[in-house]
Amino acid sequence: MIEAEGLARRYRKGPVVVEALKGVTFGIRKGEFVAIMGRSGSGKSTLLNILGLLDRPDSGSYRLQGVDLSRADDDEVSAARNRTIGFVFQQFHLLERVSALRNVMLPLLYSEENADAGAARAERALQTVELSHRAQHVPSELSGGEQQRVAIARALINDPALILADEPTGNLDAESSAGILDILRRLADAGRTIVLVTHDRDVAARADRLLVLEDGRITADDTIPSSSRRRPADVV
Amino acid sequence: MQILAAHPLRTALSVSGLLIGVAAVIVMVALSEGAERRLLQRMQAMGTDLLVVNAAPAPRVAGRPRQVAIQTTLRAADAAAIVEENALARAAAPAVSRSAVVHWERLNTTTTLLGTTTEGLRIRNIGAQSGRLFDDHEAGAQARVTVIGRTVVRALFGGVDPVGRLIRIGQVPFEVIGVARPLGTDPGGTDMDDRMVIPLATAMRRVLNVPYIHSIFVQGRSSADLGELERQVHETLRRRLDVRAGTPEPFLIQNQAVLLQTERGTASAMNRLAVSVAMLALVLGGIGIVAVMLISVRERTREIGLRRALGATRRDIRLQFVLESTILAAAGGGAGMVGGLVVAGAAAAVGPWDLVVPWSAACAGFAASAFLGLAVGAIPASRAARLEPIEALRG
Repeated sequence: MIEAEGLARRYRKGPVVVEALKGVTFGIRKGEFVAIMGRSGSGKSTLLNILGLLDRPDSGSYRLQGVDLSRADDDEVSAARNRTIGFVFQQFHLLERVSALRNVMLPLLYSEENADAGAARAERALQTVELSHRAQHVPSELSGGEQQRVAIARALINDPALILADEPTGNLDAESSAGILDILRRLADAGRTIVLVTHDRDVAARADRLLVLEDGRITADDTIPSSSRRRPADVV
Repeated sequence: MQILAAHPLRTALSVSGLLIGVAAVIVMVALSEGAERRLLQRMQAMGTDLLVVNAAPAPRVAGRPRQVAIQTTLRAADAAAIVEENALARAAAPAVSRSAVVHWERLNTTTTLLGTTTEGLRIRNIGAQSGRLFDDHEAGAQARVTVIGRTVVRALFGGVDPVGRLIRIGQVPFEVIGVARPLGTDPGGTDMDDRMVIPLATAMRRVLNVPYIHSIFVQGRSSADLGELERQVHETLRRRLDVRAGTPEPFLIQNQAVLLQTERGTASAMNRLAVSVAMLALVLGGIGIVAVMLISVRERTREIGLRRALGATRRDIRLQFVLESTILAAAGGGAGMVGGLVVAGAAAAVGPWDLVVPWSAACAGFAASAFLGLAVGAIPASRAARLEPIEALRG
């Protein structure tokens, strides 16, 4: 599914140039649930943005489903963002004045096909995240956990091969976080390829495989024992 | 689309500038074209080939009251002489006029009495809207017949048909034989429909009892030669009235064509000024839209980043914003058109203007605003679309 080789990315922060990634190489197979963990500033979000085609590496190559999109034109990259990838952001990034259902349907606007069946698909997506009863509410009427579920449903609507989640529980309380991670776990168990970025060890533990990023480089790449993938015991 | 509807106040404000601008342009163009059309109609009614010779005001001699307000040296025969001696003169007619009180049954009104020949009727473009004009026979017989203007009709008769009725000037009864075609206002501001026209001989002998005339109407062969004709008429009359060199002439010549052209020039200049101001308003309105669209795009950079992340191409983004701003501008322009036409219509109903629907100005205004919306939407949206989605998402 994913082949990354020597990915490097630097950017300017005022007068300083920050080297976020210093040559990252790894591969991800179809159906894997990978967590990329690291402290703030380790480059994990930058890496995920590159994987999600939201940013371009300065050097190195990134092949998604065997295709190197670094030299692709805008139409091809946009198509990949629309069909192949579903991105879940830490800040949700929903349209404020639009209902949950229509938020979920937003990617359909940019799919080439006829979106007549769109509403039905959106409803099914909302069912998957257990939010059908709130379909007509706008984001301001939804809790953080509910908003993130809408975001996940939106990410699922075009049945993408790859789901990317950047600190999906970063803005949520413990209970909502657990709910979101349950959903991701279920999707992974159903065969979806998921890459999750987090700084939280407990969140990372829900995945199958852990990549540790330190100062722009991968320092560890381990399989997570299946016993810890289940929800940790509730702490009152 | 929903985004725009979600900010109704902001949308309305941004659109209002353009709306007012377009409306202003339409109103100005409509009114100025309407005024110009009225002016042209009057010019046609007056004739651009007309000279009016008027007896000059009598000079005041200290201590002595004036017998008559004007010089009394013009004679009816002078009119014939002008035509005989000057090839450039097509026709000339003598005329007398004075203010008079006219009575019908218990009502009365003050109007202008005009006495002239049938030739004079032709030269002054006096026609009968209903009834008829007097003929040479009646003129020769000093018949007591009159053609009255619609202002007099309104004042004395209201809705009643005046033709065939008898009205009185002093003790002298006149039969109304016709109502004159409306002529409007002359360049001097006089209401030409506020008069009663009678044969010259009747006026001079039966009503006013004078041997002199007040005016001579001279029709030139072409408006181009009117200036030259004016000079020739001066010569003819100076000779006939025995005016010595150095003494003031006992007559004044009005060149109607010059008067009308001057008025037209003034009106044109005012129109241009008014339209320029309106265009300025339009530009300001357009700038208003530009400002709002720029702010809107800046605020929505994050949204643009999101849409790009979900698969929108740069083309999709450009299209979305161009459509939004075009619809916004077109709505403003369209509403401005409607508003402008309504105001112009109301103004034309009330004021001395005809209603001219300035389709070309309206369409131009509409097209300009739509095009403005197009241009304004495209540029900032393009810039936002060129960012990497993650940059845009950071705002």
